[in-house]
Amino acid sequence: MWFKARGPLGDFEQLVLLGVLRLSDGAYGAAIRQEIHERSGRDVSINAVYTTLDRLEQKGLLKSWDGEPTAERGGRRKKFYALKPAGSAALKQAYRAFTGMTDGFERHLESK
Amino acid sequence: MIAAPRLALWLLSRRLSGAWRDYVVGDLVEEFQKRAARSRATARLWFWGQTLRCLIAPPPSQPIASVSVRNRHRDSHMQTLFADLRYSARVLARTPSFTLAVVAVLALGIGANAAIFSIANSVLLRPLPFADPDRLVRVFHIPPQATFPGMARFSVSPANFYDWQRDATAFERMAIYQFRSLRLTGRGTPQTILAGAVGENFFEIVDAQPARGRIFRPDEDRPGREHVVIVSHGFWQRQLGGAEDVLAQTLTLDGSAYQIVGVMPASFSIESWGASGRDFWIPLAYDDEARLVRENHNAQVITRLKPGATIAQAQAELDVISKRLEQLHPKENAGWGATVIPLQELIVGDIRRTIVMLVVAVGLVLLIACANVSNLLFARGLARRKELAVRAAMGAGRARVFQHVLIEAVLLAVTGGALGLVIAQVTLRQAASILAGQLPRADEIALDPRVFAFVAAVSVVAGLLAGIVPAVRAGRTSLTDALKEGGRGDSSIGVRTRRLLIVCEVALSVVLLMGAGVMTRSLLAVRYADAGFDASRLLTMSIILPESKYETRDKTRAFFTRAVEDMRALPGVVAAAAIDSLPTQGGSVQPIVVEGRPELLPRDQPTVEVRRVTPGYFQSMRIPLLRGRDVSDSDVETLLVSQSAARLLWSDADPIGQRVTLPITSRTILREVVGVVGDVKQGRLEEAAAPTIYLYTRSEAWSGLTIVLRAHGEPLALAASARAVIRGLDADQPVEDVQTMDTVLNAGVASRRFSAIVLGLFAATALLLASVGIYSVLSHIVRGRSREIGIRTALGARTGDVLGLIVREGMTPALIGIAIGAVAALGSAKVIEGLVFGVSATDPLTLAAVAAALAIVAFAASLIPAWRASRLDPLKVLRT
Repeated sequence: MWFKARGPLGDFEQLVLLGVLRLSDGAYGAAIRQEIHERSGRDVSINAVYTTLDRLEQKGLLKSWDGEPTAERGGRRKKFYALKPAGSAALKQAYRAFTGMTDGFERHLESK
Repeated sequence: MIAAPRLALWLLSRRLSGAWRDYVVGDLVEEFQKRAARSRATARLWFWGQTLRCLIAPPPSQPIASVSVRNRHRDSHMQTLFADLRYSARVLARTPSFTLAVVAVLALGIGANAAIFSIANSVLLRPLPFADPDRLVRVFHIPPQATFPGMARFSVSPANFYDWQRDATAFERMAIYQFRSLRLTGRGTPQTILAGAVGENFFEIVDAQPARGRIFRPDEDRPGREHVVIVSHGFWQRQLGGAEDVLAQTLTLDGSAYQIVGVMPASFSIESWGASGRDFWIPLAYDDEARLVRENHNAQVITRLKPGATIAQAQAELDVISKRLEQLHPKENAGWGATVIPLQELIVGDIRRTIVMLVVAVGLVLLIACANVSNLLFARGLARRKELAVRAAMGAGRARVFQHVLIEAVLLAVTGGALGLVIAQVTLRQAASILAGQLPRADEIALDPRVFAFVAAVSVVAGLLAGIVPAVRAGRTSLTDALKEGGRGDSSIGVRTRRLLIVCEVALSVVLLMGAGVMTRSLLAVRYADAGFDASRLLTMSIILPESKYETRDKTRAFFTRAVEDMRALPGVVAAAAIDSLPTQGGSVQPIVVEGRPELLPRDQPTVEVRRVTPGYFQSMRIPLLRGRDVSDSDVETLLVSQSAARLLWSDADPIGQRVTLPITSRTILREVVGVVGDVKQGRLEEAAAPTIYLYTRSEAWSGLTIVLRAHGEPLALAASARAVIRGLDADQPVEDVQTMDTVLNAGVASRRFSAIVLGLFAATALLLASVGIYSVLSHIVRGRSREIGIRTALGARTGDVLGLIVREGMTPALIGIAIGAVAALGSAKVIEGLVFGVSATDPLTLAAVAAALAIVAFAASLIPAWRASRLDPLKVLRT
């Protein structure tokens, strides 16, 4: 449904989009999963990553293309993702919302 | 590159569709490589974790799905499943009698499957409880086929064993062992106990650690040091009261004190392997002379293959050694080969075919149960058409209705499965004592995780099988039709499907009944085959005299002569005598040389069964004396020959007065034939009677004989007085195996009886289920067609016409089922071909009887609904 597709980003969607952003040219499933694991501590399943990537692509936030098969993958193809303008915009919007809400309370939220 | 878990990869490739397979599996494999470089175990764990999460909720079916609606469906899939489950449970609880009937049928079917699978699991699938049981093998001789036709293995001669042990390299170690009857005294009633006499390395090969004490030391396998004994856990508990100081005790065996040095754990006592199922073990302790015996084959061998060595390698090596031994010792070894057989194969090999047959049969029972449940669900689906139609009208898709009916069936089956487990557990516990005598490894039968997994899988499959046809029909229900009918059941719907189910049920029943029929006939044919003597009213008991007390031949002969005489004098005894081995129990087989003919190589020498008898044996057993006379007390060395032995040795010439020698016993003693008696089966009842000679001898000790008593009435009534006779002669002398000859014969057909009874039970269940199926379908049809029948009756149809109409309705599918079943039974006869005796697996008479029985049952099941139809009051039916 169109209104659902235009709704704000979910928590996990944000993580995945940020992963794609951070990895720039090298953003594909395994790399994104590891990036999320290392930076957020969430050990998510690969299928959850792909399900979300797929949804984000349907929403028009991401584009994808197939990469070459490599030996370490047992000759299987890769699927690379990159942000579309709408994806960048959605991330920015989410970031604005987040920083807007946390403004002035950074000291309370720092866990260390 | 490190390989990822193959099963996980396979599961993933099954679960993931299209392009996802490459992306997801590729990613997982890639990360697995990185992780495996650090720790392989955690990498595998991680891989499995990821795999399981993918299996539960895989990515969408295609990358870039067309609309997001698809996602919504997937998200709610689990929810609808739970909703359907809850709904099904509620609906089923509202119709308890229906639910109960279905669950009962399924519980019966699944319970029977669980029980049979438990047996197959424990007997065939589970490895023996020894370390590395795959490498435990036994070695036998293959006897020369000219002398021992059809005999595939033979006990081993000690000298040959020691040669194998020295030369064979495929085995880690080899051990020789025997069974010895020892008289245990000084602990209550004297008993004769069959002990394992084991050579050096025996316990090391089996890799068994004693629970207490130690195993034998190598130096104890020598005469003079051998007065040590290791007892079983059972013997320690039973006979020694589980005494803590067991290692300080001694046993008096054949009059000598044996120090107890060890107690084996309970897990070592595998009943089905003679060597481990003993009460105690002593060192074999052959002296040098015994180790050189090459002609007498009386020992057993157990060995362990070296790691990596195969049976084929061991066999090839033994073949070479046997050839060499044949050349070195042509006189003793000509024609004697060797064979290597896995221990597990020896223990369960014979029973495998029976169990496979039972697994097939019980599978058929479950199929019939499924067909029956399918039928019930179907009828219920018809009754619920309106409800389903309403649900469809409210927006439930066909798939949803299909899913709902299927879930209901699976729910019923899983409930039935849980109940089935209970049934299996109770049945197996009840049957434990019966099974013990009939199956190897019966003591190990239990429900284990494998059985639970099996029952879970079978329940789901049974539910799907039973549910699929009704679910498809329900999914196809046309909304408008169902609502238009206004809820009246329509008999024309699904009748064809349900007839088909009857055809299936009847056909499967024919196959089962045929199997049961043929097995029962085999059992009877074997059990009541003419064994050559009259087994009724015979009491038997075995007495083994200890050498230490009866050291001379004369003493043993005096004991038995006296014992038999005293027993003859007992009231109620018609005749009494003794023999060394009872018919059907096997015994000594020896080459025989007729006077005046040259002694050939053992390979070419004719052999006969040799039995030692006392006068009156033939009269006691009612074995016909065909020519000549019986042996008598005044004889010295005489013998009788059986009819087939007379034919073997002298063809048509008269054997009376001929003389023979038995080279194994003595080359010098010539014995004269004084009579010819009828043939008696000395071996298995399934086999033909072997040529036999019956000796009356004074040159040998009569150390162990079985006394046979022919009674006027019930033979067991004589047991007490017969025991008293022996006690009167020697208070220390044990009497073993006091039993009737019928018991002896029954023991020989135990596994046949087991399979006949179990198959019979299955067939009876099948018959019951099939008749219930026919009855329920016809009742349904009668209800649906009551209007039509009413009109027919109103137009003048007579009771007979209506009866005929409905009975025909039931008999048509039944007869088609019988025809198909007959073809299937003939086709599947191969499963039981090797198990039948005295009757063909495709026996037309049995098949005809089975077909007739099913036709009668189908007819009976049709009659009640037909009768009800004929009693319909046309006025009442037409008015409503």
